[in-house]
Amino acid sequence: MEVELQAESEAGLFEAAVEAYAELAAAGGGGEPARRELALAGGDHALLLVDLLNELVFLAETEAFVPERLERLELSDDGLHATVAGRIGDPTHLVKAVTLNRLSLAEEGGAWHGRVVLDV
Amino acid sequence: MPGTGASSSTSELRRVGELLWEIPATARADMRVPARVFADDELVAAIAADRALEQLENVATLPGIVEAALAMPDIHQGYGFPVGGVAAMALPDGVVSPGGVGYDINCGVRLLALPVAEPELGPRREALVHELSRAVPAGAGRRGALPLGGRELDAVLRDGPRALVAAGIGREEDLDRTESGGRLAEADPAAVSPRARERGAGQLGTMGAGNHFVELQRVDRLLDPETAAAFGLREGQVTVLIHSGSRGLGHQVCTDHVRAMDAAGARYGFELPDRQLACAPASSPEGRAYLAAMAAAANFAFANRHAIAHAVRGAVERVLGPAAAAGTRQVYDVAHNIAKVERHGGRELLVHRKGATRAFPGQPVFIPGSMGTASFVLAGEQGSLERSFGTTCHGAGRALSRTAARRRIGGAELRRRLEAQGIVVRCPSSAGLAEEAPFAYKDVERVVEVVERAGLARRVARLVPIGVVKG
Repeated sequence: MEVELQAESEAGLFEAAVEAYAELAAAGGGGEPARRELALAGGDHALLLVDLLNELVFLAETEAFVPERLERLELSDDGLHATVAGRIGDPTHLVKAVTLNRLSLAEEGGAWHGRVVLDV
Repeated sequence: MPGTGASSSTSELRRVGELLWEIPATARADMRVPARVFADDELVAAIAADRALEQLENVATLPGIVEAALAMPDIHQGYGFPVGGVAAMALPDGVVSPGGVGYDINCGVRLLALPVAEPELGPRREALVHELSRAVPAGAGRRGALPLGGRELDAVLRDGPRALVAAGIGREEDLDRTESGGRLAEADPAAVSPRARERGAGQLGTMGAGNHFVELQRVDRLLDPETAAAFGLREGQVTVLIHSGSRGLGHQVCTDHVRAMDAAGARYGFELPDRQLACAPASSPEGRAYLAAMAAAANFAFANRHAIAHAVRGAVERVLGPAAAAGTRQVYDVAHNIAKVERHGGRELLVHRKGATRAFPGQPVFIPGSMGTASFVLAGEQGSLERSFGTTCHGAGRALSRTAARRRIGGAELRRRLEAQGIVVRCPSSAGLAEEAPFAYKDVERVVEVVERAGLARRVARLVPIGVVKG
């Protein structure tokens, strides 16, 4: 599954990616509210986007964490720190991995564009 | 006309044999070998409809690849590598690429033959399908009946189903009827990350989702009665085909090592047309680490299908009695997502098979059709060693994306249609069912006819579904 993203800022692109993944992982309401703090290292922001989503895949499978939104994001040349809000529920597990296939993240014409391909 | 590194795909595709097509190595400046496709006219038109040929050209650029990047007639677009692709690399320094094996390491199929004919099932058929659905946890992320502690998981990663037999699960004779005896000796449990272990620890004996299934079938027709008899198959017999892999553990191993090789690529001076082709020399630390982890994940997958087969025998016993369970034999188990060191043409090669099945002469091969259509038992032919590094196809091959399939039919409607064909269906997700609709796949009958005419494998038996439990 190919996900095309567009946002006004790079941080907005990360928010949109989490929102897209959340839509795929949600199987219905309910569950205890939860937050996960994530810290990822690396200077390649396209890879950080993949790593962030892969973290969510892992949390869904091992903790039944269903993300809802990216609450906080600090993006730097060394990595990212993020807080993802969601709940402990019954995720769909539709996404099994986030690939590097046709991965892109770039600013063009004042807008940020990204593409990630999900293994479903 | 020579290219510049940009995609040429279909424009350079030319027929070089009745069932063989080629994009020459001159089509792009970065291709090291040609890209070759086994297909007839109709299949090649379907193959050209997505990015599979462009991906095959990309595979042809990888360092160390020999002869050609090959595609089976069921090829379709994958992640980086196409599904249905074969790439053989010269050892020791040709590359290994986790994407050339795929996320579901050692996804494969296992066929069980029951000692009963379909008419003997009678009204118990629906009860058997229901019992199979209870016995084999289905759906992505589901936890299994065999949770493993650290030492038990180590044993499975190292020894595959042999570790389960030692614990009283399944039969010793099944090991002899499994590719590589169900154990890749290169496996190193320590090479499997804690994350991969955490994802896999609770999933042994589970089917997973997507196109995974346990299908109850009838042997509809014997196409090579002598070989069918040698495989223990007779007309009208009931069989169970199991399609599953290494679950979350294999996915995490692939994720971990694609990431590591992506980081290492610059150090080896590789310029790749797609990051998902991330690779490293097989002899490098990154290459050796991946091969050790991949082998461990492959052993886990063999054990997973072994555990599912054990659960199937349990279901057979509950519905048909202990004699039927005792007489349920394993025909064989084959992988279709794997990389193996093999000798071909006097050279030691690392053969990547992603959505492709080893088909050494005489070896049983199982080709699942789409849900509601026939599956085939094949036997490998000598031609596979001469033309495809001992490989044949693995299935029908997708013709429509999952999303496109869901747009065309609802799960409830598909369930009604399958049941109207006399197929009992159990599936936890209606949307998941729709994704696997028969029209979403190429014609499996045509695919197996092509591999037979190409001399890669011959048809032995045609199996038709009478019940399906889908993941």
